[in-house]
Amino acid sequence: MLSASEIRKVVEERNVHQKGTGKKVVDVREEMHRLEDKGELIVHRIRPENRPVEAKTLFGWTKRIPTDRLWHHKSCGQCGNIPGYPSSLLWLMNETGRTYLNEPHQTSCTAWNYHGTATSNPTALAAVAARNFHRAYETDHFPLIHCGTSYGDYKEMRKLLVENAAVRTKVREVLRKMGRDLVLPEEIVHYSEWVHAMTPEIVARQSRSVTGIVATVHEPCHYYKMVPEDAVYDDRVYAGQRPAVPSGILMSLGATVADYSTWYDCCGFGFRHILSEREFSRSFANLRKIRPMVEEAHADVAITSDTGCVTTLDKSQWIGKAHGLSYLLPVLSDVQFAALALGAHPYKIAQVHWHSASAEGLLEKMGIDWKSAKAEFQEYLRALQSGAAPELLHPAHGEIETFFAVNKGQVLPDEAPGAPVAGAGPDVRRGPRE
Amino acid sequence: MSIVAYLPRRALSLAEEEAAAPPAFELTGRRKLSEAERTLAGQIFGEFRADPRHHEFVLGCINCGECTTGCPAARFYDFSPREMLQIALTGDATTLWDALQEKIWSCCQCYTCNMRCRFGNDIAGIISVMRELSVRHGVEATRKTLAPFGRSLTLLMTVGTQVSSDMIQPDFFRDWGPFATGSDKVWNVSADIMRKAIPSDVLQTTRSSWEVSVQTSLELFRIYEETGVLDMLRGLDPDLTEMLIDIIEERREEFSEARERFATELAGMKGTVATFSG
Ligand code: SF4
Ligand code: SF4
Repeated sequence: MLSASEIRKVVEERNVHQKGTGKKVVDVREEMHRLEDKGELIVHRIRPENRPVEAKTLFGWTKRIPTDRLWHHKSCGQCGNIPGYPSSLLWLMNETGRTYLNEPHQTSCTAWNYHGTATSNPTALAAVAARNFHRAYETDHFPLIHCGTSYGDYKEMRKLLVENAAVRTKVREVLRKMGRDLVLPEEIVHYSEWVHAMTPEIVARQSRSVTGIVATVHEPCHYYKMVPEDAVYDDRVYAGQRPAVPSGILMSLGATVADYSTWYDCCGFGFRHILSEREFSRSFANLRKIRPMVEEAHADVAITSDTGCVTTLDKSQWIGKAHGLSYLLPVLSDVQFAALALGAHPYKIAQVHWHSASAEGLLEKMGIDWKSAKAEFQEYLRALQSGAAPELLHPAHGEIETFFAVNKGQVLPDEAPGAPVAGAGPDVRRGPRE
Repeated sequence: MSIVAYLPRRALSLAEEEAAAPPAFELTGRRKLSEAERTLAGQIFGEFRADPRHHEFVLGCINCGECTTGCPAARFYDFSPREMLQIALTGDATTLWDALQEKIWSCCQCYTCNMRCRFGNDIAGIISVMRELSVRHGVEATRKTLAPFGRSLTLLMTVGTQVSSDMIQPDFFRDWGPFATGSDKVWNVSADIMRKAIPSDVLQTTRSSWEVSVQTSLELFRIYEETGVLDMLRGLDPDLTEMLIDIIEERREEFSEARERFATELAGMKGTVATFSG
């Protein structure tokens, strides 16, 4: 252990550092715009065609949520385990007439790996974030982040890139080597915020009543505990004392959102644990989350808005039987639940068959004839097996996109208004975007 | 007014304290380190203290334990974020080394501690700094802890997604029950057909979370090369690192062949697709 005087020295250095940097919670977006004025980066602006809706964050700051012309930033967890999560979101966008790109030209944020194994570093994470931001920018579609961890990580990376000149310089240098530039979106937007902004339009299309359904919400930690000042809160949801998403959409659809004592706990995912030490994940998920949800709140369904959380809460339950915990509480994302309430096919769209805790009892309570839907799906599988073309929510990508991040007529970086003029350095740019 | 203002002033002058230099705390039952471990522990400690994030993340601590009362890992492991923060603030090379052996890997990275700490410490963040150092220096205990990650690291480094549906196999995920693989057995069709029934072409693969274009995966690898991630990984697993480099080399060749094959289509294109060479 250090001596008392050495400890005092550490604290003293810390004080000097804090005073020197004026460390306090600041709205990093303001500094981001100042850096753009200096030509250090490009802000990907929300434009009228993104049809933004305003929301409030924890500190009452205004956040603009784009609702159209979106670039889907998928989550590496959801697509492997719970594909009904992205497909329900795409389906809701089609239903509400929103346009989007769902491309093969996206990497994950790689933060699952970082938080699980630490085989990365902040500069790499920032470069990955900026690479994906630039890809969205060059297609002129605004990034919409599916995953709670990607959302939290990208907010951390935006902060790092704004506050740390050395990281900014290094990341810009790396991006330039691949023909990209440093772009930060005006807002970092989680898909559940899109759902929040779209609530009136979603509710207007509701075709199945969910009155009488009791839902317990698991709030994804990385949605509101990482860079908390940017999470969306609303006075109408828990009087603004808890995040507005995903509870808000459930309440608006008419479900009863029930409280339980461990709402603040994580799900047990643990990043490393879910892959290599699941004794922890399943103990935590069953004992600290599912049991109180069922025994205290008598829930019909657990709803969450992160891929890791859906996976952990759902997949951990089956083995609970070995310890006499036979809850098998259905676990869905908010978009799966909303899509079902709007009449989506439970198997073709909500893809509930990937879940370990069967959702069929819940479907019945929602008045869904799941037996016919299941028979229909079985028929569809047989057709696919005989070579029928799959039903798709958006046009398929051509073979060239297996290799190249082509632009299908979107705005290119050197043509976009507000973009730097190629080869002229960061501070020579075209006219303003709006 | 800050609570610190009420604390009694120290009786000793700084000079007196420095002369005596008594350790702040004595730990009993410390691990006995070999000479090699002592050298490595000292080096890691030096790098830990020199990391700029130490200043950013470790701001002070009154041992209130608020962080620990909300910590999921503390419920199931011999672990506490309060202890981690204390080690970061007041620990020495030996106590840090001790934490690297097991404790740092208990943390779930949920950030609950950060949200609760009145000092605004980034406890989850400082634990990540400790982890990074133990990876970079190939600490033996860390190698063992991360040994099961070869497959997911390969996927992550080569396509940038962490899991694929073909990884969710019953022998490794038996505890997830019979429906975890899209219940292909229940539906009596192959896993490929189950994926085909997902209504988006980019999600229909079984080999990664979604289809990732070759250009995208090469851009990602370029980032890893340029930002020291490959070097870090070499500290952990040199064989895996060499294998990854081979995979990427093949993919680079595939990419340049594709450039010839699609020359006509690519001719009029601008942007990164026109300039990125792999
Ligand atoms: S981030 Fe780690 S240390 Fe902090 S509360 Fe979560 S599990 Fe505990
Ligand atoms: S909450 Fe903060 S001040 Fe309290 S013990 Fe934890 S690190 Fe220390």
